[in-house]
Amino acid sequence: MRARYPDADGIVVREGVEIRYERYGQGRPAILLLPAWSLVHSRHWKMQVPYLARHFTVVCFDGRGSGGSDRPADASAYSDAVFASDALAVMDAARIGSAVLVSVSRGALWALRLCAEHPDRVLGSVFIAPTARLMPPLAERRVERFGEVIDDPVGWQTYNAHYWKTHYPEFVAFFLGRIFTEPHSTKQIEDATGWALETDGETLTAADRGIERCDAAATRRLAARVACPVLVIHGTGDAVRGYGEGEALARCTGGALVTLEGAGHFPHARDPVRVNLLIKQLADRVRR
Amino acid sequence: MRARLPDRAGAIERDGVRVAFEIFGDGEPALLLVPASPITHARSWKGIVPSLARRFTVVTTDGRGTGRSDRPHAPECYAPAEVTADLLMVLDAAGVDQAILVAHCHAVPWALRLAADHPAGVGGIVAIAPGIASAPPYPYAADAERQWADLLDAPNGWSMRNRSCWRRDGGYRAWVEFFFGQQLPEPHSTKQYEDTVGWALDTEAEAMIAEREGRAAPPAREAEALCGRVQCPVRVVHGSDDRCQPVARGRRLAELTGGDLMVLKGAGHLPQSRDPVKVTRLITEFADELTGAPMRTTTWTRGPCRRPRALYLSSPIGLGHARRDVAVARELKRLRPELEIDWLAQHPVTAVLEAEGEHIHPASQWLASESAHIASEAAGHDLHCFQALRRMDEILVANFMVFQEVVEEGCYDLVIGDEAWDVDYYWHENPELKRGQNVWLTDFVGYLPMPDGGEREAFLTTDYNAEMIEHIDRYPWIRDQAIFVGNDEDIVPRTFGGDLPAIRDWTTRHFSYPGYITGFTPPGPDEVAPLRAQLGYRDDELVCVVAIGGSGVGRALLDKVVAAYPLAKKAVPELRTIVVTGPRIDPAGFPGRAGLELRGYVHRLYEHLCACDLAIVQGGLTTTMELTAAKRPFLYFPLGHHFEQNFHVRHRLDRYGAGTCMDYLATDPDLIAARIAELAGKPVSYRDVETDGAARAARLIAELV
Repeated sequence: MRARYPDADGIVVREGVEIRYERYGQGRPAILLLPAWSLVHSRHWKMQVPYLARHFTVVCFDGRGSGGSDRPADASAYSDAVFASDALAVMDAARIGSAVLVSVSRGALWALRLCAEHPDRVLGSVFIAPTARLMPPLAERRVERFGEVIDDPVGWQTYNAHYWKTHYPEFVAFFLGRIFTEPHSTKQIEDATGWALETDGETLTAADRGIERCDAAATRRLAARVACPVLVIHGTGDAVRGYGEGEALARCTGGALVTLEGAGHFPHARDPVRVNLLIKQLADRVRR
Repeated sequence: MRARLPDRAGAIERDGVRVAFEIFGDGEPALLLVPASPITHARSWKGIVPSLARRFTVVTTDGRGTGRSDRPHAPECYAPAEVTADLLMVLDAAGVDQAILVAHCHAVPWALRLAADHPAGVGGIVAIAPGIASAPPYPYAADAERQWADLLDAPNGWSMRNRSCWRRDGGYRAWVEFFFGQQLPEPHSTKQYEDTVGWALDTEAEAMIAEREGRAAPPAREAEALCGRVQCPVRVVHGSDDRCQPVARGRRLAELTGGDLMVLKGAGHLPQSRDPVKVTRLITEFADELTGAPMRTTTWTRGPCRRPRALYLSSPIGLGHARRDVAVARELKRLRPELEIDWLAQHPVTAVLEAEGEHIHPASQWLASESAHIASEAAGHDLHCFQALRRMDEILVANFMVFQEVVEEGCYDLVIGDEAWDVDYYWHENPELKRGQNVWLTDFVGYLPMPDGGEREAFLTTDYNAEMIEHIDRYPWIRDQAIFVGNDEDIVPRTFGGDLPAIRDWTTRHFSYPGYITGFTPPGPDEVAPLRAQLGYRDDELVCVVAIGGSGVGRALLDKVVAAYPLAKKAVPELRTIVVTGPRIDPAGFPGRAGLELRGYVHRLYEHLCACDLAIVQGGLTTTMELTAAKRPFLYFPLGHHFEQNFHVRHRLDRYGAGTCMDYLATDPDLIAARIAELAGKPVSYRDVETDGAARAARLIAELV
């Protein structure tokens, strides 16, 4: 059973791709919870929605390639611009003029784009464990060769399109172990495993290939255009994207940085109380 | 002494009437505190200004008719339009475009008018105990209002709110004393009562009469219309036991303005004085809701990842606590090596901590000086420490608010407060604010009246003791460990006063006894000679050390001892006298005499005390117990009116059979010289002082982490 069920839900169809969204509560401002990646769907916000919905209007959606949304096969259907447009279409459908954006991981790229290109729709932005390519990957990830065939890949080598075709569940198990580096995270890992297995290796490959290979300079150009209040939350134990990424994003957006000592890549799942309070703090600040 | 002085003070002048204001701090947004003048003035906010000013710009005004403002006697000078024009001009003078107004009682209609007529200038209103006709008044207040201009034969109670009564000799004072007695129904409000009566007497009856007749408070229908014109957010704070303004008025004001209402259950008409912590937090939350709490770059450590941390508070009144607290901290680290200890402390404790390499929390810089307050309360060889502590109320609440922020952000497992009166008092008054385990240390229990304080002082000390006893009875979970620095027999064989229990019985029920904590191990019999050699003391001289501690209180005693020196030297030719003036008194300010050495600060003074042949000191516990532990003869002079030195310390020293107590006023230089000749270098037979007190105290504390 869920702690809270949506007050409304619906489907937005964009160029034939169905995007499923949910809407909760009715306070101001609205909060839009962005997808993280197509690996998991909007249920990864389950620890935030009931609390935030008591204070704010909360809208979330399953990113294309996950959950109740369609899974287009073509990589071009997963570009940053497409995800950002999905978010705007969901806001329109949910009748949300403007919102505080909350993103995790790769959602940072889409949130940045919305902040920079649609400032009238964005009141503020919370970036949790952002993945915005401001810093080089962690040292242990340099073994990744996404498109190459690797014999008996181990560790980060399993971040690999060929491997995902045949060993997607094994990759999921490895990857979630890197997301949740905190001890005693079995429930969070089981949850995310279930959501990840609702999609498949081919879809995730398309989603991964669709992401534009933008560089740090491109991110900085976007960040320089961000005018709304920004809060960056990053764990020092993040084994997917290093803590330095959050520091760099806070610096180039002029935002506040909350360091979560000892936290991994999904602190909203592992430390929901602290993250909930931080999101509310920013939302309160932009309310008037 | 005030906890915080204004950064800027001034006055505006309109049509020849000057109205005073003060400005504190420079944060956003600005707050304008509007008192219910002229019966009170800006000092009525003293409990909340220092902490608010650390976050916000705080502007206070005395209002026309009182404080540092003029006192016109014409009723039209107090018309609402005049007062709101003053407030606007004050904001202008303060360079504030928009402020949150915090108004009390009949100042609330002024704030509402200002918000209605100048919406751009008012961001919000906090209305405390609003005096507005949004609901009927109390019948006794309405009766008094009807009889306001009547000539009453024998007014009493509420009927003293009467023009002719106020004009009669003593009539206004009688009214004020009655009124504030009604407005502080909370038990143990003696200090707030004295303060508010004092501020009310800062004005004069004719100004009060003029204000009352010129006030033109809006009647019911107009009040409703006024509320309807207010567009900004409103928060109403109202005590359930307010006997000036019925809580129905606050409730209706909130309804009419769409505001929220905080009823303070059990509170009277003056919550800003009686519950300053709660009121400060309500104002801060309101301001944060208006503008949003600031987003700051911070670190939050996951609960399971935290190293255990303690926050140690060491009373800065006298230097003695610092040394024993460092000793306890050292033993605690031995038992719990992983424990990190931060110190929230102020001068002169910080000097000791820095020398010992301890970590001082940066928020320490925000603490208002308790030792400067104590020094300001002393005169000659006299310090009424009970009244000095009472008058330290605004410093204590200001420092508590600093402490509370530190514990809320610092995620401490443990708080150790060595006579941290602010923490102990305000956590019992606001128990929901407690964070972490809490250890309370003290070396005396029970306020005792000085005989010449009469019935009033006996009543006051009993009342303070009763409040403390009630605190502990009601919230036994606030102190997780209470440590008395000493043994049960060190406690005076007296009661807390009235029908309260015996101090020793009660203390034994609520405290642990680790024994005395010296903070150092005194030299054994074989170690004194090498120590003397190291300090440059010859065997053929009798060394007399005169010391008064670091507080700057005690110049008078030094003068008397210096005057006795030639007589003593004549009687004891081998006498060598060293006068340690402490860091706050200039040794150059004494007459030079052959053989008399004057020194300022002496590092490791206790070593000199351990090696001397006689010491002359004040009646403070730490120094006298160092001498007791080191088994040196000494004369001690308790400060006049200092109940702790005169009763608690003296009782303890008597138990140890240590020292010769001297009455400063009854002692002349001849007597001092005679005592020096009699006691210098003579053997003593004191009871032993334990040397394991710090280790035993640390064990008690370590059980909690």
